[in-house]
Amino acid sequence: MTDALLDVRDLTKHYGGVSASDDVTFSVADGEIFGVIGPNGAGKTTLFNLITGFEKPDRGTIVFGGRDITGLRPDQRNRAGIARTFQIVKPFPRMTVEENVITGALSRTKGVAEARERAGHCIELVGLVEKRHALGRELSTGQRKRLEMARAMATQPKLLLLDEVTGGVDQPSIPGLIDLVRRLRDDGVSLLVIEHNMRVIMELADRVMFLNLGRKLAEGRPSEVSRHPDVIRLYLGSGHA
Amino acid sequence: MSAVSNRRVEGVPLPLVLVGIAALIAFPLIFTSPTPQHILILTLLFGAMGTAWNILGGYAGQISIGHGVYFGIGAYTVGFFYANFLVSPWLTWPLALILSVAAAIVIGLPTFRLRGHYFILASVFIVDAIFIIVSNWEAVGAAIGIEYPIYREGDLAGSLWALQYHDSKLPYYYSALGLFVASVFVSWRIQFMPLSYYLRAIREDQEAAQSLGIDVTRYKLVALIISALITTLCGIFYAQYVLYIEPAATISIIISLEIAFIAILGGIGTLWGPVLGAFIIVPLTEILRQKFSGAIAPGFGSGDASLLLQLEYLLEGGGGNLDILAYGLIVMLIARFQPNGVLGFLRRLD
Repeated sequence: MTDALLDVRDLTKHYGGVSASDDVTFSVADGEIFGVIGPNGAGKTTLFNLITGFEKPDRGTIVFGGRDITGLRPDQRNRAGIARTFQIVKPFPRMTVEENVITGALSRTKGVAEARERAGHCIELVGLVEKRHALGRELSTGQRKRLEMARAMATQPKLLLLDEVTGGVDQPSIPGLIDLVRRLRDDGVSLLVIEHNMRVIMELADRVMFLNLGRKLAEGRPSEVSRHPDVIRLYLGSGHA
Repeated sequence: MSAVSNRRVEGVPLPLVLVGIAALIAFPLIFTSPTPQHILILTLLFGAMGTAWNILGGYAGQISIGHGVYFGIGAYTVGFFYANFLVSPWLTWPLALILSVAAAIVIGLPTFRLRGHYFILASVFIVDAIFIIVSNWEAVGAAIGIEYPIYREGDLAGSLWALQYHDSKLPYYYSALGLFVASVFVSWRIQFMPLSYYLRAIREDQEAAQSLGIDVTRYKLVALIISALITTLCGIFYAQYVLYIEPAATISIIISLEIAFIAILGGIGTLWGPVLGAFIIVPLTEILRQKFSGAIAPGFGSGDASLLLQLEYLLEGGGGNLDILAYGLIVMLIARFQPNGVLGFLRRLD
């Protein structure tokens, strides 16, 4: 696929004898929501860390927007147009919501005033306007996830990697978060989404990749991947296989 | 008028800031004896350094117990050239600043990879290593240090050129005040720049900062260089003021600790914390020192470089370094009851 926004080839990462990523190849098209599913230890977060530059692969290449970014640092990849959230959220605890998001916006803007304006839009987008002056540490888990999304969006990415959008979030908040992810896509952002909640990923993703023990076992439309025997065994219990 | 009176500089009303500056300008004209002037000169000097330290340690969260290196570079560069070749400090201060930036890069690049306690330890080891090197380096006077040739002519032009004034402490006082105001101004100004967001983000969560496009090493280095440059200017001032440079009073762990403590005890990461810290700690320790250790020490914190030696000396009943004990007691009390520094305590009263 030549028009892919993100093109990952043969990505391999071993920790000692354990392979966290084993010859993983896939691509994300422009404007696509691409889901990554798999059990604990499947290598989902490792894959995110490899794509965002927080870890170096043993082998393989990552091409983004036609440019090989495999050797770049995380901050350089962000400026190239890749943003992320973290599975264990990392808001800046002693900075306000607005300051958190301004920090992201400064990735693209020169001055603080312009960044504040940009941050305002992002805070509105994720629905945290009334929390604008609250400190990062004062937010609930759901609000922290929203804050991370706003902060990542403020860097004006072409590709946004969301690690466990609904993890640790109370049930009633989930539809709002799904809606938010869709709105991000409507803003012209492609998304790579790790998600444990199968119902969420079925509803959200255009395509899904199923990982286990670092290997890609299936890829396709959510309805196809959900019929894969390993997926059924994992998510519905072995009795259904 | 209300436009002025309603403005605040980091929580402190602008009129109060202006009154404070006016009071500092007037102080030596009211208190004309050398001792209070000396104490305030040291307070302003260490206030400037605590504030500069806070840019790296407070804003960026990189706790350095090694700023004596940059203090020493300032003092030794101008001192070495004046003592050996009678070169005016006006010609050598740029060299001191260049050396300071070079040292910041050489020290910063490898150590900024270290996190938390390891960074602190590295800064301590580096300052101590340089202390040992300088203490054994004959060209710069080794452990004895550099004694300044005194400029005795007493004419104004010559005094200005040599940056030595022997009739009055006033030129020193206002130079120290200038350094202090400049340092606080820089620290205040940074808060409105993108740099302050980068530094605080690095302090709060380095990985999250990187994920937002912040080149972490680069901005830590920027913070260190700003901090080091001001500290080096303070070192130049110090050398010209005491006209005697020794490793223990410049490049030691003790001096490095004192610079850090002023910011930490006053209120780390805030604009006014280091200022408050300096105005509490420096006069207190100076008064204690003069009360309990006899003669007026040439510089705040001079003496033996090693805390252990100080303690041994004290236990043997020599010197009566009660000031060191009192200093330790203040540190412990503040750390125990006000972990956010004195400023945190005042904020709660507000």
